[in-house]
Amino acid sequence: MATVDSPADFGIERRRSGLVDYITTTDHKKIGILYLYTAVAFFLVAGALALVMRAELAAPGLQVVDNQTYNELFTMHGTAMMFFFVVPLALAFANYFVPLHIGAPDVAFPRLNALTYWMFVLAGLTAFSGFATSGGAAPFGWTGYVPLSESTYSPSVGADLWIMGLLLSGVSGTLGAVNFMATIFGMRAPGMTMFRLPIFVWNIIVTSALIMFTFPVLTAALSMLFIDRNMGGHFFDPKVGGDPILWQHLFWFFGHPEVYIAILPFFGVVTEIIPVFSRKPLFGYRGFVFATLLIGAYSFSVWAHHMFTTGAVDGPFFSATSMLIAVPTGIKFFNWIATMWRGKIRLRTPMLFCMGFLFMFLMGGITGVFLASPPIDFAVHDTYYVVGHMHYVLFGGSVFAIFAGIYYWAPKMFGRMMNERLGKVHFWLMLLGFNVTFFPMFQLGLNGMVRRIADYPAETGFAPMNLLASIGSAIIGLSVLVFVYNFFMSKRRGMPAGNDPWEGYTLEWATTSPPPHHNFTRLPPIRSQQPVFDETQQAQRESRG
Amino acid sequence: MEMSQRGRKILVPAAFLPLIVSACTPEPITSQGEQVSDLYTIFSVIAAVIFVVVAGLIGWSLIRYRAKPGDDELPPQFHTNLKLEITWFAIPQVIVIGLFIATAFVLVDVNEEADDPAVTVDVEAFQWGWRFGYSGTDVTIIGIPQDPAEIVLPVNEPITFVLNSDDVVHAFYIPKFLNKRDVIPGKENRFSVTIQEEGTYQGFCAEFCGLLHDRMPFTVQAVSSASFESWLEGQGDDDGDS
Ligand SMILES: [Cu+2]
Repeated sequence: MATVDSPADFGIERRRSGLVDYITTTDHKKIGILYLYTAVAFFLVAGALALVMRAELAAPGLQVVDNQTYNELFTMHGTAMMFFFVVPLALAFANYFVPLHIGAPDVAFPRLNALTYWMFVLAGLTAFSGFATSGGAAPFGWTGYVPLSESTYSPSVGADLWIMGLLLSGVSGTLGAVNFMATIFGMRAPGMTMFRLPIFVWNIIVTSALIMFTFPVLTAALSMLFIDRNMGGHFFDPKVGGDPILWQHLFWFFGHPEVYIAILPFFGVVTEIIPVFSRKPLFGYRGFVFATLLIGAYSFSVWAHHMFTTGAVDGPFFSATSMLIAVPTGIKFFNWIATMWRGKIRLRTPMLFCMGFLFMFLMGGITGVFLASPPIDFAVHDTYYVVGHMHYVLFGGSVFAIFAGIYYWAPKMFGRMMNERLGKVHFWLMLLGFNVTFFPMFQLGLNGMVRRIADYPAETGFAPMNLLASIGSAIIGLSVLVFVYNFFMSKRRGMPAGNDPWEGYTLEWATTSPPPHHNFTRLPPIRSQQPVFDETQQAQRESRG
Repeated sequence: MEMSQRGRKILVPAAFLPLIVSACTPEPITSQGEQVSDLYTIFSVIAAVIFVVVAGLIGWSLIRYRAKPGDDELPPQFHTNLKLEITWFAIPQVIVIGLFIATAFVLVDVNEEADDPAVTVDVEAFQWGWRFGYSGTDVTIIGIPQDPAEIVLPVNEPITFVLNSDDVVHAFYIPKFLNKRDVIPGKENRFSVTIQEEGTYQGFCAEFCGLLHDRMPFTVQAVSSASFESWLEGQGDDDGDS
């Protein structure tokens, strides 16, 4: 292998990696690591909020928190998971790996990239700072439905801080999306045609497009709400001709594509990992790109399936579109299976998390089709059925894929392998805890337990399944501790990773771990979707022949 | 090695998870709810089949195509098959079209409003409680967190609910109806049911509506028409006294 990693390069990297350097950096890799740490920190905080909620729900009666605190907890749990964890974590992977995947030295606008990151930090801190005010954090759910979120019903400063935080995060996300678009369309290495891009990069293209079209809508809606609250506006006040349903349209026109923004990057991650660990090329590359574009296009036409019970939307239309969007996702499942078919599967930790993803996301996807049917939605909307469904999608789906990505890419980012045994303990504990927590919720929802309640009457019979779910949540908490320990322990003492520990296909494996400041000292020729694999195969043939 | 053994033992039964969940709506008590329950069963059966097929294929690949230790040979590097890909684009497409047609029929019936309801209940939701007015009488029942409402309704007669709110969005939800509707300020919602079974049923506010959202449960007592009539008259007397 002709990759040069001169010790001098490493020396310079080491000396530069101080705190000041991270604060002032415009290097996409360091910004990626900053995104990773910050997003995981928000995950731990938002997860802790969820554990308090589960503790409260374990038995009827109010034992742990009061109603006001409970309402703040689920509002900030949802807000943080959606805005400050899942999406920023996608940006962490995108920051670190899009330039590496396309053979570029950095993103198109490195300083804008740094600004994007710091705006995100400020956004998160602003939204959370509500907890430090006397009125507490925003208490109206991450969906911020009006009129409840108007100043009449939620006068606290925390509500305004929530609006400001989300406004900042919206602007930050939009700028980030522009940057990735410019990078991918303008900075690909010679030979890296669009149809040779890793699927992860294709998913970032579609995700960026969704962000660019929908985040501004949320920003507009939040501005209207801010004007209503603080400047005497009446956009959403029905008493003077405003319309509360307008908020729901604007919010979900953003909010449903947001779900795809929160899952597509991780479809990308899984689609990178499964072929490598099956030792086969991805099956149906072009079908995959087509399905991703189709999901992106359809996702603009499904928003009102969140609003069937308002009686103010066209049920059949939004039902049809919401069911149709399941089809391209189905294509992906078959492509993943066909990729594994007749392969030689190595069930290392990243692949194990991908398998968890496949099973759990399948459950999430299928229950989603139920919710696309208005009569069924009338029965289970706003119940724990929806809570279960959405966690199978965003936790069983996105979060399992996030961990797959971390186990897969941490060796590249930090130069050391993560511990395999601890990784497997983490996986099995999390899979167990996840199902024990969220599976009972489908039945709870069908039985009539509504969401966003701090308490339920004992005579409802909801208690046993809630206790089970709370026990499951403690197991999830334990599994996350195993991960945190593994991460920091391996980062210090793990086995050195070398350039290409997994026999990978894509360009990040052609450089050192971690890569030098400018990413590549040389690029392998790019003649297919698997340039690194092509080159190692060629080298093997030559050494044999 | 122990891990991979355990892996197989856990992953394979995981394929049967949806069988447990299927057909588990509570017993519906309205004619409309029965249709929803049947629709749910259709969805469940198809979902279970899809889950078993897809999860089975994944599980099978995992077991059958695990790399043997020490085997460094590359597997066949095939990566495309247009006919196959068109097939598995078409199959889910057909399934969702079928599910949509089944949905459309039930939706029409569930949304159908009774022409001449025996009882019309004006439901007003507020932070945090309910005001139930029996249209055409002066009977009004009010529920608040300390004293939840108990309303009485007749069986085997069409009932229409008219939903209004003066403050925030709530949702009127009786789980055994398998139905709910949002109660929205500035927009009146209506729906009709015919209750088929006598009994006492719990109701909730389903849309988050602020501090005491969880304290909005109420009770519905479904009784025979005759008992309903005499109950309604008795209420009228009480009302006159107060
Ligand atoms: Cu309410």
